[in-house]
Amino acid sequence: MKVLVAVKRVVDYNVKVRVKADQSDVDLTNVKMAMNPFCEIAVEEAVRLKEKGVATEIVVVSIGPKKSEEQMRTAMALGADRGILIETDEALDSLAVAKLLNKVVADEQPGLVLLGKQSIDTDNNQTGQMLSALAGMSLGTYASEVAIEGEQLNLVREIDGGLQKLQLKLPAVVTVDLRLNEPRYARLPDIMKAKKKPLEVKTPADYGVDTASKVTTLKVEPPAERQAGIKVASVEELVDKLKNEAKVI
Amino acid sequence: MTQQEMLQALQDLIGADKVRTDTDALITFGRDWTKIHEPKPSAIVFPRSTQEVQALVKFANQHQLALVPSGGRTGLSAGAVATQGEIVVAFDYMNKLLEFNPVDRSVTVEAGMITEQLQQIAEEKGLFYPVDFASAGSSQIGGNISTNAGGIKVIRYGMTRDWVTGLRVVTGQGDILELNNRGLLKNNTGYDLRHLFIGAEGTLGLITEATIQLARAPKDLQVLVLGVVGMAEVMQVLHTFQTSLDLTAFEFFSHNALEKVVEHQGLNAPFDTQAPYYALIEFETTQEEQLEEAMRLFEACVEQGWVVDGAMSQSEQQAQNLWRLREDISETISQYTPYKNDISVRVSKVPQFLAEVDQVVSEHYPDFEIVWFGHIGDGNLHLNILKPENLAKEEFFSRCHQVSQWVFAIVSRYQGSVSAEHGVGLIKKDYLHHTRTPEEIAYMKAIKRAFDPHNVLNPGKIFDL
Ligand SMILES: Cc1cc2nc3c(=O)[nH]c(=O)nc-3n(C[C@H](O)[C@H](O)[C@H](O)COP(=O)(O)OP(=O)(O)OC[C@H]3O[C@@H](n4cnc5c(N)ncnc54)[C@H](O)[C@@H]3O)c2cc1C
Repeated sequence: MKVLVAVKRVVDYNVKVRVKADQSDVDLTNVKMAMNPFCEIAVEEAVRLKEKGVATEIVVVSIGPKKSEEQMRTAMALGADRGILIETDEALDSLAVAKLLNKVVADEQPGLVLLGKQSIDTDNNQTGQMLSALAGMSLGTYASEVAIEGEQLNLVREIDGGLQKLQLKLPAVVTVDLRLNEPRYARLPDIMKAKKKPLEVKTPADYGVDTASKVTTLKVEPPAERQAGIKVASVEELVDKLKNEAKVI
Repeated sequence: MTQQEMLQALQDLIGADKVRTDTDALITFGRDWTKIHEPKPSAIVFPRSTQEVQALVKFANQHQLALVPSGGRTGLSAGAVATQGEIVVAFDYMNKLLEFNPVDRSVTVEAGMITEQLQQIAEEKGLFYPVDFASAGSSQIGGNISTNAGGIKVIRYGMTRDWVTGLRVVTGQGDILELNNRGLLKNNTGYDLRHLFIGAEGTLGLITEATIQLARAPKDLQVLVLGVVGMAEVMQVLHTFQTSLDLTAFEFFSHNALEKVVEHQGLNAPFDTQAPYYALIEFETTQEEQLEEAMRLFEACVEQGWVVDGAMSQSEQQAQNLWRLREDISETISQYTPYKNDISVRVSKVPQFLAEVDQVVSEHYPDFEIVWFGHIGDGNLHLNILKPENLAKEEFFSRCHQVSQWVFAIVSRYQGSVSAEHGVGLIKKDYLHHTRTPEEIAYMKAIKRAFDPHNVLNPGKIFDL
C-alpha cells in the first residue's frame, strides 16, 4: 500500500514568536523553522507502517516555500521514499492546501493519507477534513492508535472525556494526534542517503488550482500581558476583590 | 554573647523578619547539594543590601562569629554548608537587576539573582549569557562566581570568570570594595583583586553585586550525538570536529549512563546501534556550509572506524531532548547513592587517564559500576561510582574513600586537578595538595588572612588556617 504524508514547514515550536512592528504579521526573519510537530508524528507513523510491511512506499508532500525541502529531506531521512514539493511563497488557506493535496491524491492513488491534526502556526485544524471530503475518502481525525487489517483501518481517536474507536474503509485520510507515537531522531547516515532520494518540484499552477485566498489578515497583536498577582491579607478581602474588582462571583 | 542576645542583635541589624531559626530553614539553608554533613547553623539571615551585608560582617568580626555565604545551594563541594553553629547569609532577597547597558553589552545584578533569570534577561535583550549547566534553574550568580562555575559551553565561552567584569564585595574585614569600576575592559592598575574573589568559595569576601558581560546570541545551534567505539576515539572525534567547526559544546557519556537516563526519564535513545561511549556535539550554523561540513566530518569519522552511528536534531525540541540525555544523568543516578568526583587532566591525556582509573577501580572492586560523563572537550571528567544494592552506605563510602586515594594519586601523576569546576569546600580539602604545592597553599592562606584576619568567612573551607 502506498502512503502519502503531508508535512509543513513552520516556525520552530520553541521559538518565542514576536509580532512585526507594523502589526501585519508575526516576524519570521531569522527565526528557526522546523517540521510541524504533528507532521513529525504522521511521518513516524508512516515509517512504522512500512517497517511492519503494511506500507510499501511512502511519498512525502509539502506545500510551501523552496526551503520546505529541508523538512522534506528530514522526512526522507526518517524513511519516506520520495517527495513532491508544491512550491509557493504565499500563505495558503486550508482549502487551497486541501485542493492541491486532492490533486496529488488523484495522481498517486495512495491507500492512506496521513496528516497532522493541525499545524502549530495557523492552528486551523481543517486540511485533513477538507481533503477527505474533496477526495471522497473515509476520515479519521485525532488518531492516537492506527492499525491496518486488509482493507480496514482500526483507529482510536481522542475525544472529550475519552477515546472513541472507529473502523474505516481504505482508502482513508487520517489526521494524527500527539500521543500516537514518539518520533525518532534522524540518523546521520540516513540524512546523507536522503539527499539522493527523488524530490519533484511543482507549482500550484501545474495542478490548475486557484490558490487565491479569500481571507485577509487585518492586524496581528500579541496577547495582552499578564498583570502581576497581588497578595491578599484575608479571605474577606479575597471575596471582596473577586466580587467587586474581578467581577467573577 | 548568648544565642538569644545574638539573635536579638541580628534582628536589630536587618529586621526581625529577615532572621530565621526554624528547623526547616536551618536544615534547608544549612547545606548544599552534597547532603553528606549534618547541617547545624545557629541562624539564617537574609540581608537586602550591601550595607546590611557589611553590618553583618562587622558584627561577626566584633563577636568572633562565623558566617557561611549561601547562594542557590546547588554546590557539589560542601562549600555552602554550616556544620558548627555558623550564621548562614542567604542572598535570596538580593536578586534585582540593577542596570542594563546595551552599548557595553553588560548587566549589573545583585548576587542572589538565579542564573537562569540572568540568561532570560540576556535573551530578552537579544543577547546571551553563555555559562550554563543543569542546576542553572536554582543556582545564583553569586554562587557561580564564588565557584567559578564552568558547565557545558566552556569549550567556546570559557568559565564564569571570563564574563565577570566588575564586582562589589564586602571583605572579611567588613570593607566594601568596588572592583574594576563596574566593568572596565581595560584597567591595568596593579593587582586585579576581582579575580581573587572569583572562585574563592566565599572565604575572602561576600559578593553583593556583579557586572556581567553578555555575548551575541548564537544562531541555530545544531546538536549531534555520535556513538563512539572507545575513549581514545572520542578524543579523535573531538580533534576532527574542532579542526573545521567552532564547537559550542563537546560532551561525552558512557553507555550505562545513556541506558539509565533512557529508562528513568522516558527519553528516546538517539539510535538503536549500541556504542561504549557517546559524544554530544553542538555547534552554531550561520551558514549552510557548516552543516555540510559536519556531515563530511561524520563520514570521515565513520571511515576511520571511530564512530558507528549518529543522530542530528531536526528541531529545537529535539536539540533539547538530545541534551537531556547528557544533562539528566546526574539527577538520574542520584538514586543509586553515587560516589562522585569532578576531575580534569589535559585534553590529550584523557584516554590513558580514564583507562587507568577504570582499571584500578575494577581491579579492587569488580562489583562497582562506574558511570562516566563530562565536559570532555575541556578535559573534565565526572567519575561516578554507583553503590551496589547489597552494600551498606557506610561501607560503600569508606571503600570509596580508598578509591579517592588511588584516583587522586593518578590525578597527581597526570598533573591534573582534583576539582575541575566544583571547587574544594569541605569535600576536596584533604586532597588540595594533589593539585597545589605547599608554597601555593601558603600564599593562599596569606591572602585569606589579608582579607579576613579574624577568619569569620566560611572558616574551614578550602583549607584550615
Ligand atoms: C545537577 C547539577 C549539575 C551541575 N553542573 C555543574 C557544571 O556543569 N559545572 C559547574 O561548574 N558546576 C555544576 N554544578 C555545581 C553548582 O551548580 C555550581 O557550583 C554553582 O555555581 C553553585 O551555585 P550556587 O548559587 O548554588 O552556590 P552555593 O552552592 O550556594 O555556594 C557555592 C559556594 O559559593 C559561596 N557563595 C555563594 N554565594 C555567595 C556570595 N554571594 N558571596 C560569596 N560567596 C558565596 C558558598 O559559600 C559556597 O562556598 C552542578 C550542580 C548540580 C546539582
